[in-house]
Amino acid sequence: MKMNPLRHYPKKFFWIVYFIGLGLSLVLDPLWLHSHVLHYHFPLQYLPEFFAIFGLFGCMLLILIAKGMGLFIVRGEDYYERESRR
Amino acid sequence: MVEWIHPGMVVFLGAFLIPFITRRKVKLAYFLFLPIAGLTLVVLMSMGTFSPIPSWPGSLQKWQIRFLDYTLVLGKIDKMSLIFAYIYLIAAFCMNLYALHVKNDWEHVAAMIYVGSALGAIFAGDFFTLFFFLEMMSWAPVFLLWFRGTKKSTGAAIRYALWHHFSGACILAGIVIHLHRTGSIELSRLPWGWGGEYLGYNLMLLGFIINAATTPFHSWLSDTYSEATPSGSIYMTAYTTKTAIFCLIRTFPGVPLLMWMGAIQAVFALFMAVLENDGRRLCSYHIISQIGYMVAGVGIGTEMAINGAISHALCHIIYNALLYMGAGCVLVVAGTAKFDRLGGLYKYMPISFWLYMVGGFSISGFPLFNGFISKVMTIEAAELIHNAPIYLLLEGATVGTFLHTGLKLPWNMWLQGKDEPPPEIRAKLKDSPVNTPLHMLLGMGILAFFCIFMGVYPQVLYDRLPYPVMFIPFTTTRVFSIMQMFIFTFIGFWFLRGLVTGHPTYTLDTDWPVRMAGRKLVWFCEKPLMAFANFVDGKVMDLVDFLTWFSQNPAVALSIKKEEWRLRAKSLLTNPAGVEKHRTDLERKKRAYPGELPKLTLGASLLLILLAFLLYLIIYLLGAG
Repeated sequence: MKMNPLRHYPKKFFWIVYFIGLGLSLVLDPLWLHSHVLHYHFPLQYLPEFFAIFGLFGCMLLILIAKGMGLFIVRGEDYYERESRR
Repeated sequence: MVEWIHPGMVVFLGAFLIPFITRRKVKLAYFLFLPIAGLTLVVLMSMGTFSPIPSWPGSLQKWQIRFLDYTLVLGKIDKMSLIFAYIYLIAAFCMNLYALHVKNDWEHVAAMIYVGSALGAIFAGDFFTLFFFLEMMSWAPVFLLWFRGTKKSTGAAIRYALWHHFSGACILAGIVIHLHRTGSIELSRLPWGWGGEYLGYNLMLLGFIINAATTPFHSWLSDTYSEATPSGSIYMTAYTTKTAIFCLIRTFPGVPLLMWMGAIQAVFALFMAVLENDGRRLCSYHIISQIGYMVAGVGIGTEMAINGAISHALCHIIYNALLYMGAGCVLVVAGTAKFDRLGGLYKYMPISFWLYMVGGFSISGFPLFNGFISKVMTIEAAELIHNAPIYLLLEGATVGTFLHTGLKLPWNMWLQGKDEPPPEIRAKLKDSPVNTPLHMLLGMGILAFFCIFMGVYPQVLYDRLPYPVMFIPFTTTRVFSIMQMFIFTFIGFWFLRGLVTGHPTYTLDTDWPVRMAGRKLVWFCEKPLMAFANFVDGKVMDLVDFLTWFSQNPAVALSIKKEEWRLRAKSLLTNPAGVEKHRTDLERKKRAYPGELPKLTLGASLLLILLAFLLYLIIYLLGAG
């Protein structure tokens, strides 16, 4: 049987790797790394799971604030063309 | 023995031969050879063939030319210009490979002039030479835009030229003021501060930060880069802004204003990127954001920060060209780079996807990719000066960068959870996993190799930076914190992925007031100003007509005019019948005009001539007085 050369992206592989990473980062952070290995410059960074919180909320805030900005600055695709015809 | 050969000149002058080569294969080989020739020269230079390279901040001065009262230095060679030249030429080779399919020779010429003048600017040892090459650099992309041939790209080209000639004028004004104050045109570190005595330096700084697309002057970049030809835009991503960073490092290192502008720019551009629907515009906002790191690095100004800014500029050239190539592939293959019309392309172009992802991982700063080794240097420099706001802004920009280039763009372009692309895109694709032209994949492949190579073996870059690098990027702290951050960024993206899909929209940027003011100016010129001009024109022409008519027979003309006035007065006072007769008489007289000219005697003629001379004499005497 000839194999179909068109394949979908490796969805399952991605999710497995992702959840292993997620679990490791969550568990290792407070249990071992923070007290023994890590070296930071600001006290804030020593909070357990600081970078997890920073990543998650940073990302969500970015999207939500930008969407809020979008209410004022998003226009139709041909905004400048239409303006010049007027 | 030749004193020195300028690699930029080889590329610059060599470009003009391209259209005259008739065999297409030879032409393309020559096109690929140009950056290699330049690269060979740079390798020879760094091996010390021409003369040994002194250690930073020492430099070699080659090709010194007397010009008026000044000495132009076309070749200032030090560690910084060498490493820039390396990356410029390596990137140029990959870009040329990517652009091989382009049929228009002049697009190749424009691109090579662009690369050549960028090299000219980084080897410039004085302000005049620098200004000359910056001006050349501001013209080449205008052609790369024009060759796209759409109405939008034509407009974008003009806006590009306007922005860059404004910045050029600022730089020139700064140079002239600096020259007037110090009498020197040597390209060196300049003083900076607020107040009148620093006007020239502030103008020059303004010129450079416009070229570097620093917020709020960043909008020319996202506006124009996304309108150029798919291959032309790749060249644009690399040279203008990075040369501006180079100039900033040469002239204004350690200006605190730059630190803040850079950090704010790094984050601001990301907000704009959330709303973006066009893949190439999204990548443009990422150029702006990444330049924020470099500008901040220049502003922090410590040895590590300058090293960080330089290495980030160079890594950025490599991975951003790769990102733009990825988006350009989709534009070439599918005919659009708009998110709302794409998705599900993975099956048909997986290699482009993975090569793009290498760029995406690099720009986000994944460990073992080249963005990591350069970005953390700048961030570490911000930590070492204990400036928490700058640190948080730059770290936050990392999150946003990963969100967009690592997640949003690939998701929307290639995946969107769909198995098949929309039907109108599907119709353009072959039933094969390789839809992208091979030379494009090759160009991307080489860049991807460099992304990973520099990321795994950063010493190759670190050893060539101007200041000695006492910095180990791969510490547990950094690797762990950045990976944890990305893992959680993904959660945020996955929950809100519905919000970052494409919609056919256009996002207004900081250039809105300028463009609207421009429109109003054009409207003012076309409507009220033209109406006024037409009015004045009409009046002047009326006067001319009258004078022509009058001079045909002044005596009769005078009597006609007198009759007209009398008629007008009469029509107010007496009965209509009398007026009517008068009017018909006048009409007859006008029709007969100019009629029989009065015969002048010789004496009368002479008198008139004398009168004319007298008049002239009076005017002459009055004028002389």
